Amino acid sequence: MGLFILEQIVNGIVAGSVYALIAAGMTMIFGVLRAINFAHGEYYMVGTFAAWYVISKLGIDYGTAIVLSVAISAAIAALIGRLVMQRLVNAPFQSGVLATLGISLILQNAVILAFGGGYKMFPGGWLDPVEFLGIGMAQQRIVLVGAALVMFGGLEWMVRSTHMGKSIRAVSQNPECCQIIGIDVEKVVRRTFVLGTALAALSGALTGPINVSLYGGMGESITLKTFAVIVMGGMGNVRGTLFAGWMLGVAESLVAGSIGLQYRDSVGFIALLLMLMCRPTGLFSPKARF
Amino acid sequence: MSTTLDTLTPVARHLPALRWTGAGAVVVALGLAPLVLGGYYLHALIIAMIFLLPAHGLNLILGYTGMLSLAQGVFFGVGAYVSALLSLHFGTPFALNLVASGVIAAAIALPLGIPALRLRTYSFVMCTLGFVVIAQTVAKNWISVTRGDMGLSGVPQPKFQIGNAVLNISTIPDYYYLALVVAIVATLGFYALVRSPAGRCMVAIRDNEVLAESLGVPTWAYKLAVFMLSALFAGVGGSLYAHYMTVVSPLVFQMYYSTTVLVIVLGGGVGRVPGAVIGSLLFVALSEALRVTPELRMIIYGFVLLLLVFCFPDGLAPLLDRALERIARIRFGAKEGNSDVH
Repeated sequence: MGLFILEQIVNGIVAGSVYALIAAGMTMIFGVLRAINFAHGEYYMVGTFAAWYVISKLGIDYGTAIVLSVAISAAIAALIGRLVMQRLVNAPFQSGVLATLGISLILQNAVILAFGGGYKMFPGGWLDPVEFLGIGMAQQRIVLVGAALVMFGGLEWMVRSTHMGKSIRAVSQNPECCQIIGIDVEKVVRRTFVLGTALAALSGALTGPINVSLYGGMGESITLKTFAVIVMGGMGNVRGTLFAGWMLGVAESLVAGSIGLQYRDSVGFIALLLMLMCRPTGLFSPKARF
Repeated sequence: MSTTLDTLTPVARHLPALRWTGAGAVVVALGLAPLVLGGYYLHALIIAMIFLLPAHGLNLILGYTGMLSLAQGVFFGVGAYVSALLSLHFGTPFALNLVASGVIAAAIALPLGIPALRLRTYSFVMCTLGFVVIAQTVAKNWISVTRGDMGLSGVPQPKFQIGNAVLNISTIPDYYYLALVVAIVATLGFYALVRSPAGRCMVAIRDNEVLAESLGVPTWAYKLAVFMLSALFAGVGGSLYAHYMTVVSPLVFQMYYSTTVLVIVLGGGVGRVPGAVIGSLLFVALSEALRVTPELRMIIYGFVLLLLVFCFPDGLAPLLDRALERIARIRFGAKEGNSDVH
């Protein structure tokens, strides 16, 4: 019994690391732009598809494929950032919603048109089993958790020590004042956007081997679940999303293991609603910002 | 509503009459449509008119009290299920189902709205989104009532009976006229609501909630009432949808419905009565009728959304207004010279 619970928890941390990576990107984009990126899951999908394409059509090995897929997704995101996202600075809330909805439609359907609407199999991945605390699991899962830790550590360092990080913090606090003191808000927005979506694409490429099947519409449910994570972590709060992601992952795992698999996806939203009723600022944000 | 001296210029004075004429022309055109259009296009228009109802509801919340809600999908779906369940289990007539769906949807909006409306903009959006997802989960898992993913099928087609006269709605043109009537009634009701003193209070809340509160407008009560009213509109729309499609499944709670209603309202023009009408005609009817591959249609739709955001941030209704103004100026304003109505 104890081993069963431990296994659920470990699985939960793995899944949670994925959620956290994706959510970190979304929460950063929200922080600088005050826009909820409805298309965020699509970048996850693009990352998975790019890796799939590179491996199956170009015969490249998985490790390089990860790098390439992130690069491809970043390029697409840079284009979108320049054409769309940077124009949303100081725009009303509805504009962000509509624009990102439009982008999600375009991305989803462009991928379906280009590669067909059926399910595809993700070839490759580091799936050899490894033992951890008495539980056997694929190497890929450990890579996921490791990637999340590394990325979050990197984000923390970036936000604290680099010029870009400080600009991001500044823009998150007050874009208008930033414009006054000479920070190029649009550039910060573009770069944060590319970084955020690259994180999503990275998790897409990394979870490909575990999810195995990919299809054009897979991004939508990811987007929805990520909303739950960013609210729990506190919107705009990057550190919070790591723990919120883990918590959600573990909660989902325990529920799926004990109550039923069909309720797994509702856990996030029930948690979201409870959170909004009791502590709308999220678990880790002391001040009410939004 | 303008309160400046602008309304005294001849051009401005004739605008309302022009608007009503325009509306009348649209109604006549829609009424004559079945004579010229085939079933496929009529279907698109029927769907547009069904979506008009939750769109009016969203327009109420968003345009007149300033809160962006994605929960219309919840109430639309609830209305559909209520209608289906009532007619399948109790054989109740269509008119009763229509009303019951609206009322029950509004009743559900009460316990949902009380906690949700305390939240600020972004949290409120997420909360309403959460409602949609939970609603879909309930629909999928409460199998004893909703039959889960199998859905409820065989919802009876509407039938009206007065004494010995029976009116069966079974063909597409029948449904078309039914939907048209319901849409017109709903739009007139919406118009009456927003032109009333209550409607002015709502606009006050949208423009400056704190100020409205300080002037004595019970903002909390209004917001809750508006939330429930919008649910009512959506529930009625859902009922119509159930009786038209004759099948109701958890798919009715997909994000697609909530986002489409949002696009209709934002694209048509928030906070104005013709906005939702224009929006649903353009975005739903056109999108259903575009005979290209579904993926290409969605890509075009996506680009249209981007176009809306950057070129028509206030929606398309202001364009219509400007066209009407130009007509008014040509017809009535020739002597005025430089007077400009804005």
